[in-house]
Amino acid sequence: MAGNFWSILAGVPLTIALTFLAFAVGAIFGFPIWMMRMAKTRPVRLTATGFILAFRSIPPIVWLFLIFFGVGSGDISLSPFISAVIGMGLITAANMAEIYRGAYAGLDIGQTEAATALGIRTYHRFRDVIVPQMLRTALPSAVTFAIGLLKDTSIASLIGVQEVAFQVNALAQRTFTGFDIYVIAALIYVAISLPFAVIARWADLTLRLRVAR
Amino acid sequence: MTDIRVDSVSKRYGKHVVLDDINFRIKSGEVVAIIGPSGSGKSTLLRCINYLEPPNSGIIAVGDLQMDCEARPANTDLDRLRRTVGMVFQSFNLFPHLTVLRNVSLAQERVLKRPRKEADERSMELLRRVGLADKSEQYPSRCSGGQQQRIAIARALALDPKAMLFDEPTSALDPELGLEVLTVMRELAETGMTMIVVTHEMRFAENVSDRVIVMADGRIIEHGESAAIMRSPQTARTQQFLHAVRDR
Ligand SMILES: Nc1ncnc2c1ncn2[C@@H]1O[C@H](COP(=O)(O)OP(=O)(O)O)[C@@H](O)[C@H]1O
Ligand SMILES: [Mg+2]
Repeated sequence: MAGNFWSILAGVPLTIALTFLAFAVGAIFGFPIWMMRMAKTRPVRLTATGFILAFRSIPPIVWLFLIFFGVGSGDISLSPFISAVIGMGLITAANMAEIYRGAYAGLDIGQTEAATALGIRTYHRFRDVIVPQMLRTALPSAVTFAIGLLKDTSIASLIGVQEVAFQVNALAQRTFTGFDIYVIAALIYVAISLPFAVIARWADLTLRLRVAR
Repeated sequence: MTDIRVDSVSKRYGKHVVLDDINFRIKSGEVVAIIGPSGSGKSTLLRCINYLEPPNSGIIAVGDLQMDCEARPANTDLDRLRRTVGMVFQSFNLFPHLTVLRNVSLAQERVLKRPRKEADERSMELLRRVGLADKSEQYPSRCSGGQQQRIAIARALALDPKAMLFDEPTSALDPELGLEVLTVMRELAETGMTMIVVTHEMRFAENVSDRVIVMADGRIIEHGESAAIMRSPQTARTQQFLHAVRDR
């Protein structure tokens, strides 16, 4: 049993790395997509809308297959892990773009007006006034999404990323056991997401105290 | 000299005419109160003067800067306009994620390109002037409404504007808190600041401002020396409005 536990645990670094990298990719790329989504020029806006729609409505598994077997089998070869980071990262980007949009819409227009009236130009208005406040409002939804993402990374096992779900499946096939090891896997996922949730809750409360009027 | 000139300024939202051919001049150092019923276009007028809302037609001139409202405004002109004219809002609109000090320093650093240390020093000076030096490291949410509005005034003064626009600066405040804001404004007026103040504070209009402009339905219906308008308003509309405000 202890041996089983350790072999599942071996998948944890990859699960965490995949979640972390995909989230980083998504949180960063979500920004330009959100901005394109708000652009005045229609084609730009439509491109962003199309991107968001595609990555939110087509299931992650399909994207991973498309990227790993489709893109990755052509001239450029992509490892399963890189394919998963790209796929999950783009899905995250689409979702983060929507989360940013909601956070922006929730901002008091008076903030933009005050900054404009002070002569603060667009770049600094966003950097110093709008984005810091948006990030605070976006935090709870972003964490909820990140925890969902952590679970969704299990799909990467299907293209051969040797993370937690992969290890469990392999073990199940090797030992013909089921229930126990899946319970272990479940507990591992809970153990990883718990600190996330706790830190996020703490950050949310302390930040909220400041932003609250 | 930073006179303000508003020439035939009009503003529409769709078909709705909100400002209809507005004309007036304000000399450097004058304090002008704008009064009138809600919805008459007072806020829109202030917002047009600093181009928060670009007017549809007319001319807005502040000092030697002249904005032709039918042309697309050049960014350099907008920058100059906003540096010359400060604005204070009814709802304060302080930046909640920045300390009081940083609220006052931000535009100095971003617009005037002052180094942080120098900006913070100037901010402290301004906070002392509005009596809030001890709040510099607090966040705005920890300050009372009256304090927040005084911080907002300090923030607007940080760009060394030549004129200040106030849009109902005390309407969101309890009377006592409003009073501390009005005191700061009165002191500011005494330093010779050119001020346009939209207000329902009739005592301020009468005692502090030199002239009063009365608006209704997007037009100026009366305009003259404060005492004269407050004591013997000429139009029935103004009389009616003054009655309503005084009876509150
Ligand atoms: N952004 C806007 N879009 C459409 N109508 C507006 C907008 N802002 C103001 N208005 C209208 O313009 C009129 C004047 O508004 P405002 O300048 O706020 O008046 P006041 O400050 O005197 O109460 C009102 O009828 C208001 O509904
Ligand atoms: Mg108003």
